[in-house]
Order: sequence, then C-alpha cells, then structure tokens
Amino acid sequence: MSDLPCQVLVLDDEPLILLDLEFAVEDAGCVPLTALEADEALEIVAAEEISAAILDVSLGQGRTCEPVARALAAMGIPYVLHTGDLDRMDEAVRELGGVLVPKPTPAAVVVSRALQGLIAQQRRAG
Amino acid sequence: MPTHREDQAHRAYDDSPDRFRASHPGDSFSGASGVLFEQAMAQTRMAICLCDPYTEDQPIVFANRAFRDLTGYDESETVGRNCRFLQGPGTDPAAVARIRAALAQEDVVVVEILNYRKNGEAFWNALHLGPIYDHQGRLLYFFGSQWDVSDVRAARADERHARELARELSHRMKNMFAVIGGIVNFTGRARGIETEAREINDRIQALGRAYETTLDEASSGSIEVGQAIRSVLGPYDPEGQRIRFEGNGLRSDFSAVSVLGLSLHELAANAVKHGALSVPAGNVTVRWTRNGGAEHPTIVIDWIEEGGPNVDIAGVTMSPKAGSIVDRMLGMARGNIEREWRPQGLRATLRLPLREEVG
Repeated sequence: MSDLPCQVLVLDDEPLILLDLEFAVEDAGCVPLTALEADEALEIVAAEEISAAILDVSLGQGRTCEPVARALAAMGIPYVLHTGDLDRMDEAVRELGGVLVPKPTPAAVVVSRALQGLIAQQRRAG
Repeated sequence: MPTHREDQAHRAYDDSPDRFRASHPGDSFSGASGVLFEQAMAQTRMAICLCDPYTEDQPIVFANRAFRDLTGYDESETVGRNCRFLQGPGTDPAAVARIRAALAQEDVVVVEILNYRKNGEAFWNALHLGPIYDHQGRLLYFFGSQWDVSDVRAARADERHARELARELSHRMKNMFAVIGGIVNFTGRARGIETEAREINDRIQALGRAYETTLDEASSGSIEVGQAIRSVLGPYDPEGQRIRFEGNGLRSDFSAVSVLGLSLHELAANAVKHGALSVPAGNVTVRWTRNGGAEHPTIVIDWIEEGGPNVDIAGVTMSPKAGSIVDRMLGMARGNIEREWRPQGLRATLRLPLREEVG
C-alpha cells in the first residue's frame, strides 16, 4: 500500500450536495476531487490516482454517470452509486454493479460506504 | 349515453346479413346456422366484416351494421374495398405489417391500429383478425372484428403520465431533502456545531422519508400510516431484523405525517443511543391501530422495546426531561404519549387524532 493520501472522486450535478460530500471526504481523512459533470470526472480519472468514487447516477438532461462508472470498473476502482431514483436508474448503470446508496443518506455514511469498498479490495489484495 | 350507437338490438331490421347469405348460398349460411348468423350479425355491437381471400386485393364482402356505425361508411362504400381504406396519417406501418403477415399465414392476430372514420375523426381500433374455414378445411373468408378502444388508450396514457409525474416529483423531493441536508451539514461544520447540525439533519431526513410515502397516492389526500412508519424507521434497521411492524392498512389525513414521522424518529434515535437498538440482541415492536369511536377516532401506536440493556427504572422516571420534544410535538397535534419503563425496555403508547376522509 502506498503512503499517498487516498483520493476520492465525487461526482454530483448539485453543487451543494457536492460541497457536503467534499467536507465529509475531508473528515474521513481523504482528499476529495469533485466533478459536476461526467466529462470533468473522466478527466480526473485519467489524470489522477483515484482510490474510490462516489457517483450521482442522474446528472440532468437524461445524462448519467455510466461512462465514469464504466471507466472505474475497467480500472478496478471501487465506487458507490448515489441516487435518488433507484427505479428509474438506467439498466446499463445497474449492470455495472456498483454499491447503491439511496439519496438522501448522510454524507458521512455515503463516504464510509465508498471507503468500505476500498478496504474490502485492499483486504482481498492482502 | 351516446345517442348514435345505442341499443342496436332494438333498431330497425338490418337486412345486410340476409342479402349476404342470399348471395353466398354455398357457404353454410343456410338453415339454422344461417338464421343465427343473420341475427347475431344484426344485433352485435361488435363491428364485424368478412373479406374474400380469393378476389384481387381481398375486398370486404360483408360488413354488419355495427361496422357501418363505427366507421361512418355505408354498405355501398364498404363492400368491394380492402380494409385499408380505414387507415390514414399516423397509422403505424408496423401494425399494418403484422396484419399482412397474419393474412399471409392464415393466422389469428389482435392489433391496435389507428383508423379513421368517414368524417375524418381518428379512433383506435382493436382489430381482431383470423381465417374462417369450411368443413373441408378450405379457407373461406378472413374475419375481422373492430372495437373502438380510444377511451381505453386515453385512460392508459393518462395513467402513465400521472405515474411519470409522481416519479419525477418523488425524485425532485428526495433531491431537495438531500440538498437541505447538505446545507445543514456544512453550516454546522463551518460553525463548529457538527453535533447539533447532525441532530437537526436527522430530523429533517426522517421528515423527508415520512413524506416520501405520501407521493404515491398524492391525489387521494390520505396516507397509509403503516407505510410512513416503515419508511421513517427503515434506516434504524437496515437488515430488517430488529424492528417488527404490526398493523393493518390504516389510513390517515396527510396532516398526521410530520408529527408521526418525527415522534417515531425520536423514539428510534433514543433506542439506538440508550435502548433496545443499542445492543445486538434488542428489538422493537411497532404496532398501529385505530381506536375510539366515530366521535374521536385516534391513531394508536404502541412502541415496545425488548432485549435492551436493563433499564434503571428509578433513574428514568425521575428524569423530567425524558422525551420532552416528543411530548410537546404530540401535544401540539392534540395527541399524547404515555411511557412505561419496564426492566426489559421502554413501552410507549402514542396517540394522535385520526382525521379520516370526510364524507
């Protein structure tokens, strides 16, 4: 395991929720990297070392976090899907198999769910 | 009652089946079955036509009165033409293709297709189509029955639209509660009052969950009490093992939601901190019933904790502050709460006036 601080990608199209999650990630001792749009998130994924991610599913105007989830899944980075509408959630996103966290859930809980995935992964890696 | 298509059985005699029989003597439309055909065709409200599979373009050879009433075309405008004259702009080519395929394979098919009456008015036609054979199994006719399902389709569309709207509303409301939670949290963080902010936020989120359940039936104006209770208490029992729910489909006026939701949240939060939900073996039973006569109907909720840490009975009864927020909220709603501290845990009874639908 590296000694670098763990960096957590947070994607949400609602700035105030993003702000809350950013604080919560800091409180958990990690470095938050925030994105309001999928493209912004993809740039971060390409440029940075990400340990875990929190993805809002519907990003407005019919867009979803699917491309970001796909990229993270391909890289084996754990992520949680933070969504207010489990019913309407895109089948394609559902099939990617991230951990679902329904909205609203306290930000601290969302972050701990995201980091649980990371811990589980590190445990498997030994 | 619509005037133009009513009670066809009692209208003037329809001689079109009779004339059709006379011109098709070889098709078993004779004797008793012929009379039956004649009367059935004349009386049924189902629009029916027969098409000749052996003549070029499979024209209609018979159309009953209901068919003429439905389409607005009279017999001379119908017989001799292929059924497609009912189609028009907006008729789905896929539906037409299904009809063609069924005809080619002598298959039975039911298709909802957009058709037009003679006056240009569009209607949705539930078309049932199938082959009719003679005794030797030779194809005689294609049979078509038509039924106007425009109203049914409109109702289906309305229902779908209402469902989509409710879902969008639910999504936005959840999002709004999430944003409010965010604001409370970061304000608390900036002010160094995280604990207070957390307490406020927990209450707001409990309120959000209680309201969530009302959306499905927003138009009815009432809520199912059990649904609201389950929704509020859900996060305190993520595995679904610790809280038992007992109750029927009791319904209440919308106004009960906030106090009911917040009171249960406070009880659950206390149980997590000090009571039955603070230890792995503890559990809670929540039971809701309707009590009182027609004069003063009441929602009664029993909250029964068991298997928690041993309650210091002398200690809690001496505490005047115990649950004061709950007491005041319920009091404001003209209800009350009674607590009984037992060694195995708290037993509380909440009462709230039940406002049922008027009339």
